[in-house]
Amino acid sequence: MTRYSLKCGLSALAMGFVMATSAMAQSVVNVGAFGADANQLDPHLSGGGQDRALFGYVFNGLTRFPPGSMDPTKIELDLATSIEGSDDGLVWTIKLRDDVQFHHGYGQLTSADVVYSLNRVRNPETSGFASAFSAIESVEAVDDMTVTITLKERVPTFMGMLANPAGGFIISQKASEELGEDVKASMIGTGPFQFETYTPKVQTVLGAHTDYFRGAPKLEQINYRYIPSDNARELAFAAGEIDLFYGRREQDWVERVKNQYGKDLDVLIFSPSQSRMLHLNKSVSPLDDIRVRKAVAHAINRDEFQILIGQDITKQLFAPVPSGFLGQASDLPRYEFDADKSKALLAEAGYPDGVSIKVPTTQIASLKVPFELIMEQMRRVGINLEVDFVDHRAWHALIRKDESPLVIYGAAPFPEADAFLTPFFASASIVGTPTGQTNFSHCDVADDEISAARIAADPAAQLASWEAAQQKIMEEVCVVPIFELMQVWGKRKSLDLGYELTGTLNLGPPITEATHFAQ
Amino acid sequence: MSATSASSGGLVQTFNRNKLSWVGIVLFMVLCLIAIFAPFVAPYGPIDQSVMTRMRPPSMEHLFGTDAFGRDQFSRAVYGARISLSVGVVSVFLGMSVGGLLGVLAGYFGKRIDTVIMRSMDVLLSFPTLITGIVIVALLGPSLTNVIVAITVTLIPKFARIARAPTLAVKERAYIEACRAMGFSHARIILFHIVPNILTEILVMASLWTANAIMIEAGFAFLGLGVRPPTPTWGGMIREGFEHIFQAPWMSIFPGLCILLAVLSLNLIGDGLRDALDPRLKQVRDMG
Repeated sequence: MTRYSLKCGLSALAMGFVMATSAMAQSVVNVGAFGADANQLDPHLSGGGQDRALFGYVFNGLTRFPPGSMDPTKIELDLATSIEGSDDGLVWTIKLRDDVQFHHGYGQLTSADVVYSLNRVRNPETSGFASAFSAIESVEAVDDMTVTITLKERVPTFMGMLANPAGGFIISQKASEELGEDVKASMIGTGPFQFETYTPKVQTVLGAHTDYFRGAPKLEQINYRYIPSDNARELAFAAGEIDLFYGRREQDWVERVKNQYGKDLDVLIFSPSQSRMLHLNKSVSPLDDIRVRKAVAHAINRDEFQILIGQDITKQLFAPVPSGFLGQASDLPRYEFDADKSKALLAEAGYPDGVSIKVPTTQIASLKVPFELIMEQMRRVGINLEVDFVDHRAWHALIRKDESPLVIYGAAPFPEADAFLTPFFASASIVGTPTGQTNFSHCDVADDEISAARIAADPAAQLASWEAAQQKIMEEVCVVPIFELMQVWGKRKSLDLGYELTGTLNLGPPITEATHFAQ
Repeated sequence: MSATSASSGGLVQTFNRNKLSWVGIVLFMVLCLIAIFAPFVAPYGPIDQSVMTRMRPPSMEHLFGTDAFGRDQFSRAVYGARISLSVGVVSVFLGMSVGGLLGVLAGYFGKRIDTVIMRSMDVLLSFPTLITGIVIVALLGPSLTNVIVAITVTLIPKFARIARAPTLAVKERAYIEACRAMGFSHARIILFHIVPNILTEILVMASLWTANAIMIEAGFAFLGLGVRPPTPTWGGMIREGFEHIFQAPWMSIFPGLCILLAVLSLNLIGDGLRDALDPRLKQVRDMG
């Protein structure tokens, strides 16, 4: 009897140990990010898609989109308790929460940290997002918990500018100055998870920030793993090595994994959709002839793109501003697919036998695949694209040196029209110029409207200016909008995100204090 | 001279007896004919897309199925044979010409020339073939010409070594001494008396290395360093198929089989030639 009791006791102990181990494993979430490595572990410098989800776990801004949403009308206070603007919209007074602690004992959040962070992000030498914050004239601390921001000019949405994860995160001044070159220096934030370790090309490990002002996170750890191959991430999920991962943005993949791992996997499809637009450089031959640009536009068959990429994860796009963005115009000139019209326009432009254009483009699959279809559609109407597929970084360098007549580009910025119009279609942003950004088409027909919208005090006037700008851009055929591509991630069913996911500017599902594994 | 004819006759007889070699020759000829007459063999254009019929499995309409863009995989494989075979044959021909000549010069002249040439070849040989090729293609940029250049460069030192050894033996023979005594120029001795006598050994290796060159080209294409899309190559097709290996395995399987057949045919030819030329086997034949 004694021996039997002993056996039962040992069995129970073993069972308990196994269950405890199992329970412990459930408090660690493994994320499969798409890059081979972190781009740069600095929320003010890195615009890399593989870093943005991670930053969302570590940092807060003064305002934020609610977790799982990117609706600009729902922006709420985050580190701030109140934000009040002057009548002219140029001076803003911000009160801070008094219960916010930085990670690893770097103290309480004060106005000095906010001043430091916003000055850092608007300085081109320390920030990759300086242009987005260029409207700020000064940031001053009124007292420990109050900050005043003075603007040079009105901005379309001030609350939105502060909520933008591309530059809007607040970091610890003390940590940044004390740690210097340490990778941790710019990774001390106030979010639910704190930076622990970074192993190049392997993973970044985050631990729970138990003093988080919204409450201690339910998860203890996030292992953010860098797995560049789509297949490798999927196999890692199948082997139980990752629980949340960047998926392949193709319909075939979505349908197959739903069938294959249906019991265990939720496929998450959410905004922002990244637009795919073909920018036509109107300063070089033969695209300097608007008839050739129109021929290109009429050669694009959007139905084929939807079939190729997938009906569920794409939407056809006809405007230079994506859908869901504040200010997208609907009544614009449309260039529907019409191969005969395209050929006629080419002949009219002096190319009855077709024309060849040399184009460098990227090897990255999400842009290469649609570009291969563009090549085919152009070939059908007599436009022969002599394409040089180059490394993604090399391609970025080439297009910014104005060395590509056609550029397929995808972006998912803050969801308002100006985030597209200024960097892509304002003449100050023409590539190859000192202030150049991403105006690959040399578009310069809507400068007045874009500027007017930026400083408009009246929302209706702002919308009217944005619409007029889009009208002119489409009439000039600076760009051929093609389609929008949604974000696709895979999630283990047992992982409860703790909110409804419809969109996120972090480009990856937020992991919040409420995220946990269901038992 | 008569001894050479007898030897050649024995070689042909031995080769003729090896039926597998003939299988290799027939197979290779068929592949070459398919490549030459690709426009007549392929039912569709190799780059014609039809997204409505994307990723269709093999059928009578599409013998090898279709790829992610709806392109007919059989037609692509047929046109791909042109690239793969031409890269193999041209790069081996160039490698054999340049490397063989260097090897003969090194063996014939010896001394300092031998040292300079062969140590340079050793340096080239010290790098793995694929790595050397990748570096060259990365420097020059991906294109058909540059792939051929890269593979040629990797083959030159191998042919140089193969050519040098028999040259050392042949140059000591009496008839070479006689040529020298008769005042023949070095160029004449090399071109008309040494090269013909070492050519068979080089040709054996050429047949085997053509197979290697085809695989190296496929490797480049798989790594994205080959010919630019949408031009079809077997290696490139395997790479494209790899992205959809779970949904459409035929996209990789059929070009893989094409490479297998090409390499197998060349290896069978090479084995037959080697058997015919192997001195030990020759002794057995002579004794028999």
